[in-house]
Amino acid sequence: MNIALDHVTVRFQDRPVLTNVSVTLTENRIGVIGDNGSGKSTFARLLNGLLIPDTGAVLVNGVSTKTDGKEVRRQVGFLFQNPDNQIVMPTVAEDLALGLKPQRLESEDRDQKVAKMLERFGLSHLADRSAHLLSGGEKQLVALAGVMIAEPDIVVCDEPTTLLDQRNAAIVMSVIGSLPCPVITVTHHVEQLAGFDRVLVLADGKVVFDGNPKTALSFYKDSLA
Amino acid sequence: MIAGLYVPGESPLHRLDVGVKLLVLMALGIGLILTKSVLLLILVVAVTGLLFAFAAELGLMRLWQTTRPLLIWFVFIAVAQILVANAETAGLIVLRLAVLVWAAALVTYTTRLSDMMECLIRIIGWLSPLGVPPHRVAFMIALTIRLIPALSDVVQDVRDAQRARGIENSIIASVVPVLTRVFQQADAMSEALEARGYERWDDQRNNAP
Ligand SMILES: Nc1ncnc2c1ncn2[C@@H]1O[C@H](COP(=O)(O)OP(=O)(O)OP(=O)(O)O)[C@@H](O)[C@H]1O
Ligand SMILES: [Mg+2]
Repeated sequence: MNIALDHVTVRFQDRPVLTNVSVTLTENRIGVIGDNGSGKSTFARLLNGLLIPDTGAVLVNGVSTKTDGKEVRRQVGFLFQNPDNQIVMPTVAEDLALGLKPQRLESEDRDQKVAKMLERFGLSHLADRSAHLLSGGEKQLVALAGVMIAEPDIVVCDEPTTLLDQRNAAIVMSVIGSLPCPVITVTHHVEQLAGFDRVLVLADGKVVFDGNPKTALSFYKDSLA
Repeated sequence: MIAGLYVPGESPLHRLDVGVKLLVLMALGIGLILTKSVLLLILVVAVTGLLFAFAAELGLMRLWQTTRPLLIWFVFIAVAQILVANAETAGLIVLRLAVLVWAAALVTYTTRLSDMMECLIRIIGWLSPLGVPPHRVAFMIALTIRLIPALSDVVQDVRDAQRARGIENSIIASVVPVLTRVFQQADAMSEALEARGYERWDDQRNNAP
């Protein structure tokens, strides 16, 4: 993986939300922390071209989010905070099948892939359930399965556990931890960062710390004091 | 009532081809309008009910749950018809409605939405020379069905929040917060769809031979 942000600035109504951010992301597990409004979600949404910088550029494996957002989004899967917004089909299996649409599979191949992915996430028993009626933890796993079935090269998660209780947060985090591809996770739960390779701390739209999780955490805690 | 309520099962009605089910439903609808025999209708009602409860293994309880919210309408229509016409017409209309509701519910309960969509795509496909994009239409239908329960959740949440503040059942006071939430949710959902590659769905088709 190589995601390069080159002098990126994002403004909303002339107010800078990210200012002149330049980083290159290559590590397998990267965390992003920071206060509310510090620009974490903005940062995350830049990485798959949901948001285009006002100045500067974002290159994902050499592909610019500005000129080829479609290709970037094929490579970069995105898990949102609220799975209710991400799950768009009435039942679990149907929602997963949606991620296979671009591949135009025969319905048997498609059903088989869906079944496999459900099994991998321990969701087989929920296949025909109404997605609307699942528990929060189950919903987030369904949303993640829906991301993974499209076989992304990179996954970005924006506070994937904020709406979950501790037990379900731990389950979702361990599933995210075991994903076979590089993952960039925005989180408020600092204890989740322990095993990460690299952590960015954002404040007021700037990267104010960039390094290993231990130092990042003590930096972040000091900044709160 | 009809919203995405597939009930998993292995009954013959579950396994019956969707196209056949929809065709029968359509034929039934036409037949119902044409027939004027109360006796025949009673027979059809009985058969539909039996199919629903037993052949499709959906049970009498679900049949009742399907019917209950509509009972008041049945009564209303019956009374109105008795007043403006006569008891026979009232019976005809109510029986027709009952058959139609039960049969439509039977099809929805025993058919996966994705199968229904595939069938719809095939049907709309015949219209694609007229410029109707079948996959988009089918997807819109599915999305709408998905949003019905979400919408009722939003309404419930807003009502609860208002009741907690002492505002009882004011429809007017809930319009703005409900719409705000719905628009926010629609925004977030369209962003999520973009992230999930909605824009790529048509690509392969365009490239296909
Ligand atoms: N679409 C938008 N229009 C206007 N302002 C926005 C928009 N999106 C974000 N902002 C503003 O940009 C700033 C950074 O927002 P962002 O969502 O990136 O923060 P965050 O670090 O993710 O916060 P949180 O922890 O609350 O999720 C905030 O002040 C926010 O109000
Ligand atoms: Mg955020």
